[in-house]
Parts: sequence; structure tokens; C-alpha cells
Amino acid sequence: MPSSRQFLSAIAGASAALMVSSVIAAAQPLADGYAVERYYPSAPGAGWLVMDHLDLYGKLGGGVTLTTGYARNPYSVAAADGSSSLHVVSNQAFVDVGMAVFYDRYRISLNIADPLYASGNSGTVAGHEFSAPSVDPGKYPDKVTDVRLGFDARLLGDANGPLRIGLGAQLWVPSGERSLYATDGTLRAMFRTLVAGDFGMFTYAGQLGVHVRPLDESPVPGAPRGSELLFGMAAGSKFAISRAYNAAFVLGPEVFGETAFHSPFGKHTSGVEALLTGRLQRADEHGARETVKLGFGEGIHAQFGAPDWRAVVAVEIYDRVR
Amino acid sequence: MHFRHQPSRRRPLFESFKRLPASVIALSVLGATPARAQVARPAGHTEDAFDLMNVLAQHGLHDIDDETWNAYGQVTWISSFKLPFHGAPYNLHGSNMSLVPDFEHSFTGSATLFLGLRLWRGGEVYYVPEVIAERPLSQLRGIGGSIQNFELQKGGTETPQLYRARAYFQQTFGLGGRREQTNSDPMQLGATIDRRRLVLHVGNFTILDFMDKNEFANDPRQQFFNMAFMTYSAFDFGSDARGLSFGAVAEIIADDWALRLGRITPPKNPNDLTWELRLYKYFGDQIELDHEHRIFGQSGAIRLLAYHNRVNAGRFDEAIAAFESDPAGKNAASCLGTSRYNYKSTNTGAPDLCWVRRPNDRVGIGLALEQHISNDVGLSVRGMISDGQSEVYAYTPTDRSLAVSLLAKGASWGRPRDVTGIGGAINWISSIHARYLAMGGVDGFVGDGYLRAAPEGVLEAFYSVNVLNPLWISADYQYLVNPAFNADRGPVHILGGRVHAEF
Repeated sequence: MPSSRQFLSAIAGASAALMVSSVIAAAQPLADGYAVERYYPSAPGAGWLVMDHLDLYGKLGGGVTLTTGYARNPYSVAAADGSSSLHVVSNQAFVDVGMAVFYDRYRISLNIADPLYASGNSGTVAGHEFSAPSVDPGKYPDKVTDVRLGFDARLLGDANGPLRIGLGAQLWVPSGERSLYATDGTLRAMFRTLVAGDFGMFTYAGQLGVHVRPLDESPVPGAPRGSELLFGMAAGSKFAISRAYNAAFVLGPEVFGETAFHSPFGKHTSGVEALLTGRLQRADEHGARETVKLGFGEGIHAQFGAPDWRAVVAVEIYDRVR
Repeated sequence: MHFRHQPSRRRPLFESFKRLPASVIALSVLGATPARAQVARPAGHTEDAFDLMNVLAQHGLHDIDDETWNAYGQVTWISSFKLPFHGAPYNLHGSNMSLVPDFEHSFTGSATLFLGLRLWRGGEVYYVPEVIAERPLSQLRGIGGSIQNFELQKGGTETPQLYRARAYFQQTFGLGGRREQTNSDPMQLGATIDRRRLVLHVGNFTILDFMDKNEFANDPRQQFFNMAFMTYSAFDFGSDARGLSFGAVAEIIADDWALRLGRITPPKNPNDLTWELRLYKYFGDQIELDHEHRIFGQSGAIRLLAYHNRVNAGRFDEAIAAFESDPAGKNAASCLGTSRYNYKSTNTGAPDLCWVRRPNDRVGIGLALEQHISNDVGLSVRGMISDGQSEVYAYTPTDRSLAVSLLAKGASWGRPRDVTGIGGAINWISSIHARYLAMGGVDGFVGDGYLRAAPEGVLEAFYSVNVLNPLWISADYQYLVNPAFNADRGPVHILGGRVHAEF
């Protein structure tokens, strides 16, 4: 039978172990997850994959876009001293279904995101414990994450002119689980100034805006730091493919990114990526258009949700009242 | 009656009914028509419905007879109030699947968008996002085949959940015959098609979108509340906890005949939300033969439906045998300490299916009749027998079911958009299933810890008042006997209310 001293020693030892484990546990809070995706597909009819061509005009019309893509290492974290790193989300595939109704120079849109696949690595970096997402079609067969509602308007410039200026607002309604790294679990909004134009075969578009993001997960590495500045630019050339079918191919890069106002253009609070995009589009005399878009690119600054590389395919159809 | 492949917008489902006096109609509606759960195909909209497509068409902005796209939506709220009932023992010895005898309030709220797009001639895609919030009675436990609200889903929450209810591709190949008009409806584009055709569907859907369709119950959100009238209670169609699955269905339609074949995914575990995508190994197969007819000038249809599930399920006799051979090691409570899928029963004296799950087969065959009695009144009868040797995998724990219902619209009393109905349903279980439950075993929905076996039955009556063109308010009463097939429990009175809008 143990003596009272042994018993007290055991109690003290157990208490110390409990305290140490508590301290360790406190030093390794579990990251809850948040929306990692930085690729926000443009609304149907917007032309580019991310930017907005802003050629809104004419009678009532509607369009749909089906976008699917894959991102490699969209969320990687590293200790400040470089001692450890982790690809928390190493594979992410998705399908976005976009719908839009437009009239004259206005457009309202809806985007529904279905995560197809997500995987990564669990571990501890810089005192924070990360749990990898695990999404596959069997496990989450009908999962839908954040829904995005949008309104865009062309305010200045002709629909096919050299300079068009507009405004856009988008609202994310949260859906899904944070642990899948697909949602912040809060409402978010995006307000953008849009610019676009066409000079002969040259076409361009750009955006500057604010992503109103309530979530601030400081000091979790690579996590949201509250609201962000959004920026982006696209430029390309339009090549006529068939005059009979009014078909054209547009080729050019899109560069886009974001930085947290908390630490503007900081190394770990900014992300920038570039996509080389090509789109084949066919239009008729009434303004109906069918488009197939391809995009492939990499993270110029692969932090803060910008992946190592990304591939995107989209199909878009829209039509208007005759 | 018109063909369910092409419900006619030009001819509302129930046309004027003037020959019978109102009193006869009122009596005749003391019956019920099958209603479908949230997973069922929604009914067609009538020509005078106030919805987006009609409004666009009326303003010349949309060709509703030759559509390239359409969009519809619905919002439904259902509340159910279960009154306190006879408090026979429940959740005995740690079994945990009883309906509690106290007063309970259950609700569901759902909103759905139905989006359709024509890709090319005969090629269509449909996408249906849906959001639902719910609170079931007793955590959706203790009722067999007569769950009081078809919208309830296993694993649902009071926090609204958004999900993709359907995303599928459909290709129609014309095979000749007369041409006929399909109408613009949820998950159906307006078009002119052959009466003889082959239709393929591939993707994410519920098998009830294509099989066991019923002229009088196209949209359960407008009709009966109880799941017993949604489809055969004994039809354990492969599906996840929401009633959805992935797979393919082929329809061969030749005038009044139709043959449908389908293979779909079952869940990985019984009544689970995850899909088993190895369709070569585990599957739910369905075949349905459908014939439409006219009797005394009134249209009707008769359908023969059979299913075969190949799933990782437990057989009742094997669970009992395992328990009897090792009562201390293979009881329900001892499942808890293992990684085996189980229902958290802590009954140490009961068998459990967790010990004997392996690839097993479950089969069933059913016959359904639907018949217009008049233009405004319809009768439906459904009966099915399943083998009852293994556990329920996707729908209800019923092994044999019979449902009879009558539905009527209120044209004869001057309210043509009102709907009323009455129905009765009986659900049985097999003798080995009853023995398993009597020993304290549980399955996905039932298990009181003991059983004095009896058929579970429900009688339901409802009336839906059309308040505005797209808005209905309904009152409902359900009388449930022998819940969970237990003669010592119940009867249970359930009062319900529903608000439903379409746009």
C-alpha cells in the first residue's frame, strides 16, 4: 500500500502534469478554419474569369456559368523563423454555379459554391494546431458553402467603348462548416469599383475594392486579419475566329489579389496570383453569347489564400429577350 | 389525367367538378393521396399561377412552350404539435429509439430554387439548391413508417443548412409517335417532344423524381404532411439522410406505357448522409413498369415497382444469433466501445446490428394505383412488401405497407385552388424484425427496448386554403396508433399547420 507521502507525491505529480498539459494546450489553440478560396468567379456575362468586362446593355437577359477548378496549396503556413511549415489545405477542387439577370446597364447575380474535394495536412505550426479539411463527393455529397449575391452597374461609358466605369457590390451569406476551410461563418461583403474598355482588338478590365470581412483570426498564421483591399487587372487581345459564326478568342492574363488593412502589403497578409486566361466566345445578332473559358496560373505571392498554382474551366451561356 | 411526363399547364390537374354536390365532395375527401417528402418531384404550376415564368411569358419576355431555361421556387413552413399520450415505458433498459410521451413541437422550414437550362436539343441540366431548418419529434425516433412531416431529415438541425438537392443532366431521344407538349414546371422545361422516347438522367437526384410519381401528389408541400403518403413506406430506396442519391435512370416511354430502370447510391452507413460511391459493389436498383389508362372516362395509372438494395447491412436473425452466442460480448451496449457504426443504445441485454453488418440484399415489390374518380377527386392506393430480413438502410423501418388516400380540390364549393384530403396507412414489420425489437434491439428509427408487435397506423386529414394566388395555409390532424409497431404505445394525436408559397 502506498504511503501518504507517495500518495501526495503522486497527486502533486499528476497536478503538475495537468498544469503543463494545460499550458501546452493553451499554447496550441486549434485554428477553426475560414474561407481560404480567393478565386471569386465573375458573374455570368462578365467575360473574364475574375474581372468584369462590364459591357452591360440592352434588353432583359439572363445567364448561367458553370465553373470548376483546382488549386494546389491554397493555404500554407510557416513559422516566422522558418523552422516549420505546413500545407494545411494542399488540394482544393470546387464547382461554382453562377446565375445572373441583367437589364440595360444593371446586373444582379447569384453564385453557389459546391466544394468537390479538399485535403491537406494536420499539424502544429508556430504554436497553433491546424486540422486538415477532408472533403470528397462521398463524404459531403451535397455540401454547399457560402452563397454570393451580387449587383453590378455600368455607370459611365458606352457598352463597347474604350472606357467603362462601374460599381459592384457582393454579399456572402455563410453556409457550411469552418473546419472545411470553405467559409468564415459570417456575413461578408465586397464593394468594388470596376473599369473596363476595348480598343480595337485590345480589351482590358480592372477592379479596386474592399472586402468587408469581420473575421480576424490574429495571430494564426495566414488567417484572415479582418477587412481587405482587393485589386486586379486583366488585359488581352481579341482574335476573330469565324465571322460567319461571330466567334472570337480572347487571350490575356488576369492578375488579382488582396491585402489586409491590418497590415497592408505585409508578407503574410497579402496574396497575389495570376491566371493566363483564354476564352472562346460565340455571339449572335441578338446579343446571346456562349463562352468557354480556360485559366491556368500560379501564385505570384502564394500567401493568404493565393495557391501555388490553379487551373480553372468555365462554361457560360447567356441570352436576352428578342 | 394527363401524363406525368408532361403535366399540362393548359389543363389544371383537377378541372371543374360541378356534377356532385359539395357535401359529397366533402365526404369524398375523407381519404388521402400520396404525398412526397422534400425529396419528391414538385408539382406543376398551373397556367394562372403567379410565378416568375408565367409573369415573363405574359409580358412577352419568355417563350414558355419552348424554353431554353426556367426558374421556380418555393418556401414552406410546417409546425407539428404532438399532444401528450399514454405513457407506456419507453427507452427501456437503455434502448434509445422511443417517441417520448410528453408534449412536443416539431417544425421544418425549407426554401428551394428549381433551375433548368437547355444545353442542346434534348439535353437539359437541372440544379436545385435548398435550405432547410428543422426540429423533429424525439430526435426523429420512435415512429416507424408514419413520420408526421415528410420534410424531416435524419441529422437535420435547427440552424438552416444549405445543400444541393439536385444537379443532374437529362437527355431525351425522340423515338417517334405523336408529338406532345411538356409544360414549364420545376425541373421540366417547356418543349414539344415525341410520345415515344428514351430519357436518360444522370447525376444527383432522388429516385422519386422519376419513379413512383403520382398524379395527385406531385407536390407534397401542398398536400399530405405524413411520410406514409410520400411513397411506399416499405420502399427502402437507396438514398442519403436527405433522400438524395447519385446515379442514373433510364426511362423508355411508349405512349401509355413506361419502363424505368435505375441504379443509385446507397449511403455508406444506414440512414447516413455520406454516399457509397462504389456503385459496382453497393447499390440500389429499381425497376418500374407504368401503364396509364381510362376507366369510365376518367384517367388513371397502375405501376409495378421492384427494388433490390445491395448494401452493408445487418440481418436481424444474425444479430440475434450473435447475441445469443455471446450475450456479454455482442450486445448493443458493447458496440459503443468499437468503431462499428451503431445507434448508441446502452442496452446490455439486447442484440445489435452493428455486429453483423456485411454485404446483404434487401428486396421489395409494390403495386400502386391512382385513379381520377372525377375531375376534382383522385384516389391513390399503394402497397409494398419488402423481405424484412435486414435493417432499413435509407427510408423507413417498415417491411410491408399499405396506404389509401383521397384528394380533392375545392372547385365545387367555389374555392378551386383549395386542396383537401384524407388518408389512412398501415405499416408492418416482419416477424424476425419484431423479434429483434422485442429483445431490445434498435435500428435507425425505432426500438423501445421491448415490443408487443402490432401494425403501426396513421389516419390523416388536412385542408389547405389558398390565401393568395401563390400562397397556401393548411391545417392538419394525424392520429397515429402503435408507434414504432408497439401495441403498448399510443395512440398519438398530432396537430399541424403549414404555410407554403410558390414563385
